[in-house]
Amino acid sequence: MAKYTVKRLLQSLLTVFIIVSIVFVLMRMLPTDYYFTEEQQMKYDEETKHDMLQAAGLLDPIPTQLFRFYRGLLRLDFGESRRIQTGVSVWSIVAGKFTISMRLGLIAMAISLAVGVILGVLQARQKDRLMDHVGTVYTVFVNSVPPLVSYSLVLAFGARILKLPSLYSNRNPGPSSILPIACLALTSIAHYALWTRRYMVDESTKDYIKLARIKGMSSQSIMVRHVLKNAFVPLAQYIPASLLLTLGGSLLVERFFSVPGMGTLMTDAINRYDTNVVQGCVFLYASLGIIGVFLGDILMMILDPRIKLAGGGETR
Amino acid sequence: MAKEPILSAKDVEIQFSLRGKILKAIRRCSLDLYEGETLAIVGESGSGKSVFTKSFLGMLDANGSITGGTIMYEGTDISKYTAEKDWLTIRGKKISMVMQDPMTSLNPLKKIGKQIQESIELNQGIKGEAARKLAIEMLKKVGIPDAERRANQYPHEFSGGMRQRVVIAIAVACRPQILICDEPTTALDVTIQAQILDLIRALQRELNMTVIYITHDLGVVANVADRVAVMYAGQIVEYGMVNEIFYDAWHPYTWALLSSLPQLGVKGEDLPTIDGTPPNLFYEVKGDAFAPRNQQALAIDFEEEPPFFDVSETHKAKTWYLDPRAPKIEQPASIKKLREQMRK
Repeated sequence: MAKYTVKRLLQSLLTVFIIVSIVFVLMRMLPTDYYFTEEQQMKYDEETKHDMLQAAGLLDPIPTQLFRFYRGLLRLDFGESRRIQTGVSVWSIVAGKFTISMRLGLIAMAISLAVGVILGVLQARQKDRLMDHVGTVYTVFVNSVPPLVSYSLVLAFGARILKLPSLYSNRNPGPSSILPIACLALTSIAHYALWTRRYMVDESTKDYIKLARIKGMSSQSIMVRHVLKNAFVPLAQYIPASLLLTLGGSLLVERFFSVPGMGTLMTDAINRYDTNVVQGCVFLYASLGIIGVFLGDILMMILDPRIKLAGGGETR
Repeated sequence: MAKEPILSAKDVEIQFSLRGKILKAIRRCSLDLYEGETLAIVGESGSGKSVFTKSFLGMLDANGSITGGTIMYEGTDISKYTAEKDWLTIRGKKISMVMQDPMTSLNPLKKIGKQIQESIELNQGIKGEAARKLAIEMLKKVGIPDAERRANQYPHEFSGGMRQRVVIAIAVACRPQILICDEPTTALDVTIQAQILDLIRALQRELNMTVIYITHDLGVVANVADRVAVMYAGQIVEYGMVNEIFYDAWHPYTWALLSSLPQLGVKGEDLPTIDGTPPNLFYEVKGDAFAPRNQQALAIDFEEEPPFFDVSETHKAKTWYLDPRAPKIEQPASIKKLREQMRK
């Protein structure tokens, strides 16, 4: 297991490395005009601009730039922002945004796991009865209606009827976070409920459940001691990944409520060609995603004894 | 066998509702079970063998229910039980069951020792370490070597035969009075089958259990059973001591079953098969359910359902052939041949 873990860890690092390299090269392929604001374009003549680019090292051959980037990467240093907040280090920009996204993401995740799994369990227990139908309508609604429409419904309900702030504000983070969190949770509750129900229904028709009944176990204890745990295993694999990805913030929700989080930062940085910030964000997203999958696999291995993820050339 | 039966099912009817239609899986089926005996129930797929016996421990699927008749066990009519609470007094403790497929019968995420322990804790009121000791003892009893270590392993670390032993250990952990074995060897390797049958027989003797085998393997029947009941289309059509069924059967369906035994085949000739299909139980069956497939069916077979006629005190068959008014019908050659083989 230790061997496997180390191997997977190295593979994950390699993957992140490849991703950031590709993104770096792609960014360098953009025309250099984009590095200046319209104002600067007008103000400076070609020579000044050339000098500025030269000074920033942006006219060096790509391998040289890449090498410099790697050196920074080793120290996890992505340099300074050029456009978003000129001269501020990428890390401090990202860190500020990250805390906002993370706070919303973590709360939404906790709510949706709790509510979603409980809803799924209720649905599975009440299969084909009222509760199940209510849950199904909800899941189908959330999955089939475009997110912006359901967000608008949340907004309309929250802002009009409950008088909650409709835009996020840093001065008032408590109440103004409620609606973004509700929107984030809205979709993931449906997701967790759907899969919990599905896996529980699957498990409860298995033969070993019949044997548990035969040996005189009440359906209550069967639910708790056999079905729930077994149904949770396939679900658990995705929890670390989705947890880490919610930390990165949701593009749509953050745009919708003007949350100054990671999602908005990333789109802003791309729109304004702030390459260093883009690279920082990509690195963060890639790492979170890959670590999430990795943790999911490890969790699976702990929960399910049948899964022997072999190290050193063995296959399972 | 003038003893009182320990379980007596009388005129049991079981229905399933499937897509709004009613399927009569069991049609007025009666069965007496005597203490310590081994009864085999044989019949083709869909004849209701499993459904009938599952009703003894309330294990019918959710869309099925007992709609008629009585199942008397220890002075109570258990066919009237509807609450799970009632069935829990029976399941595992009094009547238990071994299912067909050991590969899926165990929880893949629980150590097998724990799975046996669960059964003991539930039914014997023993908890923790003491229950664990009993579980390990049970594992030894079903012939699993190195039981202490094996108890800490998961099902996937066991072979099919070993798993079936574990399933049996779970089923008998609480010393049930009746053990229903629903095709316990069908999913197993032929070489393992005999071992499992021996194991069940040994446990039966040791724990003084009554065993019902559900099978369509007549070889198994000949090996283990004291009595045989033949089921067709949701009814028992003939029952008797194992010799009486094998060598002096009277129901045309039993004849057909026995004639298709590979052991009776003549080299170079096709084995006899039973033409046609069993009746569709969504519809009312008129007369003898087997009549449409019986080339020697009597006119009355299509009109009226035959009652049971005595062949001997222990052997009864549900066929008009045995009615004194019926034309003289000879047992088919293959049945005579079987009888002769026995004489030798």
